Amino acid sequence: MRRQFETAIRLTLAAQVRNRFAWILLVAFVPVWYLLAGSMTGHTGAVFKLRATGATLTVDGHNLILVTAGLSAITLITGFVVFAAVRRSLPFDRRLVLSGYRPAALIAAKTNAALVQAVAIGAYAAVVLLFYWRPPGLWTVALAFMLGAATYAAFGLLIGVLVRGDLEGFFLIIMISLLDTFFQNPVDNPLANKPVLEFFPSYAPTQFAAAGAFHHQVLPGMIALSLAWTAALALLGLVVLRLRMPRPARVTGPERPRREAPVPGLPTPSTGNHHQTLTAAVAQASGGSGRNPGESGLPADQRVVPPPAARAG
Amino acid sequence: MSALAARGICKSFGRRQVLNGLDLDVASGELVAVVGENGTGKTTLLRILAGDLRPDAGSAVVGGRPGYCPQTVVLDEALTVDQNVRYFQAAYGIASTGRADELIERLGFAACRGQRAGTLSGGTKQKLSLTLALMHDPPVLLLDEPYQGFDWQTYLAFWDLTGELREKGTATVVISHLVFEHDRFDRICHLTGGRIEEEASSHATAV
Repeated sequence: MRRQFETAIRLTLAAQVRNRFAWILLVAFVPVWYLLAGSMTGHTGAVFKLRATGATLTVDGHNLILVTAGLSAITLITGFVVFAAVRRSLPFDRRLVLSGYRPAALIAAKTNAALVQAVAIGAYAAVVLLFYWRPPGLWTVALAFMLGAATYAAFGLLIGVLVRGDLEGFFLIIMISLLDTFFQNPVDNPLANKPVLEFFPSYAPTQFAAAGAFHHQVLPGMIALSLAWTAALALLGLVVLRLRMPRPARVTGPERPRREAPVPGLPTPSTGNHHQTLTAAVAQASGGSGRNPGESGLPADQRVVPPPAARAG
Repeated sequence: MSALAARGICKSFGRRQVLNGLDLDVASGELVAVVGENGTGKTTLLRILAGDLRPDAGSAVVGGRPGYCPQTVVLDEALTVDQNVRYFQAAYGIASTGRADELIERLGFAACRGQRAGTLSGGTKQKLSLTLALMHDPPVLLLDEPYQGFDWQTYLAFWDLTGELREKGTATVVISHLVFEHDRFDRICHLTGGRIEEEASSHATAV
């Protein structure tokens, strides 16, 4: 189990590192997004309600939009990266499980790999932010980015195992991310600061980042809320992923049964010159009329794939 | 004794019944072809035998962990040949990749070991897929159209390998919609109407 987990996490990350499109998005999309969002918004005051504390802040709109732009970029990229990885590996994971890979080892490795990516992407976006603005509570912004990325990694996983086509999945991720992060931003959204936003996934990271960057305040409750979103989405996704994996019966017998000594009266199968089926041959040798339905003729410790009704019992 | 035994296998997709009370026995060391027209349920049967699909009724008993080579090549295309092999080494829980190394040499794609699977040709992908199915020396081998895309040399190497496996006692089921060389098989099973209707020795059906 441990060996399988270590192999899976190492190779999952190795495969992810080769996702060239994700690298292009990270290197080009994030800085350009900051640049465009920042250049289109002046340093005018914007009213931002810290709903978590009840405080109403007047903050620099340019800086606030950099925070929400960063969140928007990383949620899109992380959702896409994890979604693409899940879609790409679904058939391969099935084959691995059929070959003896424990689903728990695969799932644990993929979850950890997704979290590693979320943390790395969040940290990267926080570092790139420094080229445009150095927030007083930089670590809170970085942590908020990581939390937001983790939530969308879970979204990517869930959508990856639910939708039938890639296009539907990408569209869903883009729409959810854009709407979610757009509504949190009071600079260009009249609905911002409304109570309904508390039920959006990026509410907690936005509140946490804004409190740290503009109010020198740390809101642990927002960390918990964001992690709850991540956990709930990831749990749903992992349950569906587990259900979609095959459930071959555990092999308990020897991997390779010993070659049997020939039974008198039975043809040797590999000679290639017999004309009887083995079933008929067994029946003939035993003097019976054949096996009862359900009897296989194999030792009891070998792999059995029963029908669903038998398994349910 | 059978290395593989299927009893009363039924499988439907919606209203369409594909397998209808199918029985199949394959003994250790036996090489069996399951042939049939397109859509007769050959791949469905192999997926059930491999544990990839549940039958609606009936049971399949397979001795040990089978080697399964699906019809569609299933690899992690972002990983190299060697990395794909390492994944399956962990899956099978085997200490060494010695058998995989040998198969890669024999099937003639050792030069591609460091190459990403996604950049391999169709035939080389199929060779890697076969290697992954064989590398744990399985007692039962389930191959769905295994030689698609093989060049002539690889095709011959495949049959050499199959012959050796037969000698070692591996029970092998090969799914194909066309079987050109009947003599290579111990039995040819025709899948028609959801059952193995005809099960004759290769010599009886050879053309």
